[in-house]
Amino acid sequence: MNPVAYVIPLLFLCLFAFALVRRVKLYDCFTEGVKEAVPLLLSIFPYLAAILILSSLFEASGLAGMLSRLIAPCLKFLGIPPEISPLVLIKPFSGSGSTALLSEIFSAYGADSYIGRCAACAYGSSETVFYISALYFAGAKKKKLARPIAIALLANFLGVIAACFLCRFL
Amino acid sequence: MNAIFAAIFLLSALLFLLHDPDGFLAAMLDGGEKAALLCLSLLAAYCVWLGFFKVLEKSGLAQGLARRTLPVMGKLLRSDDREALLYAGENISANLLGLPGAPTPLGVKATSRFLAQGNRYAADMLFVLNATSLQLLPTTVIALRLAAGSASPADIFLPTLLATLVSSAAGVLLLFLADKAKRFLPQMRKLERRRGTHVRRRPS
Repeated sequence: MNPVAYVIPLLFLCLFAFALVRRVKLYDCFTEGVKEAVPLLLSIFPYLAAILILSSLFEASGLAGMLSRLIAPCLKFLGIPPEISPLVLIKPFSGSGSTALLSEIFSAYGADSYIGRCAACAYGSSETVFYISALYFAGAKKKKLARPIAIALLANFLGVIAACFLCRFL
Repeated sequence: MNAIFAAIFLLSALLFLLHDPDGFLAAMLDGGEKAALLCLSLLAAYCVWLGFFKVLEKSGLAQGLARRTLPVMGKLLRSDDREALLYAGENISANLLGLPGAPTPLGVKATSRFLAQGNRYAADMLFVLNATSLQLLPTTVIALRLAAGSASPADIFLPTLLATLVSSAAGVLLLFLADKAKRFLPQMRKLERRRGTHVRRRPS
């Protein structure tokens, strides 16, 4: 059994026991927290929908494929295998799309090959930047997102370069 | 974001028009369906974790934990709003622990407080930290590699962790430099302008 599986039940057990000792009314308190769930979701929903529709178009139109063929030589220059360039391109847009690509790469090249391991690390070390920006900046009145998104994308890309480099030794 | 949205939308619509006009609406509806499904699973996660965090807050434990992260978070995010920093501290810790679904509600709350105060730097920094988050245990990848018949599915853990270390450090550094540049450039220009007028005045 994975030891990590014990973390979450233990976390809840310890907290609720501690809260009882502190005389917290657990039921009242828990429901008070849950009350905030729907307003929070409603504030996020429009941005989430727009981003996911955009990601779907980006993938299904073949635009993603064309761009990844275009940037593959540049990636190769930076030490990223061209086979994983669609993954690097899709990951900031779509978590589920990149998961599908990752398992495709595994079945095509093997999970233990250099390409497979690079893909695994590139997937694991980068985040769905556009999705996170839609969530976090949903409340912003002025949508000045160019700076944070550009920085996050660049940082993620540097992480992918580092991942492919590290996969040669580790 | 408006420019990115317009560019990708128009280009893909054009490609659909050329190759597969029927697929256009289908692809958009597919995205909408994903959004609706994702909203449900987000709501499920919010129900559990917002309840959990309220108990954490009311028991006084959150304040105790946050008192330790508060000075660091305050310096990193350049803010002195205790409540927002508390949320931000919990957001980062939940992220490190890899609690599924837990970081988002906290991060969203902290960001909206920072934005309401006009603290753009804090909001951007918290976003960059989340978008380059450290991966202590990439569970999805390990599960996928196991399914693909890998001999040691967890052996990508170290390069992944180091790579996220690189991306987090790069993100923080880039934002810091961008902010420095933003403050520094107008000052330079002002200085140059002043010097310019000074030189021009001299002959008269």
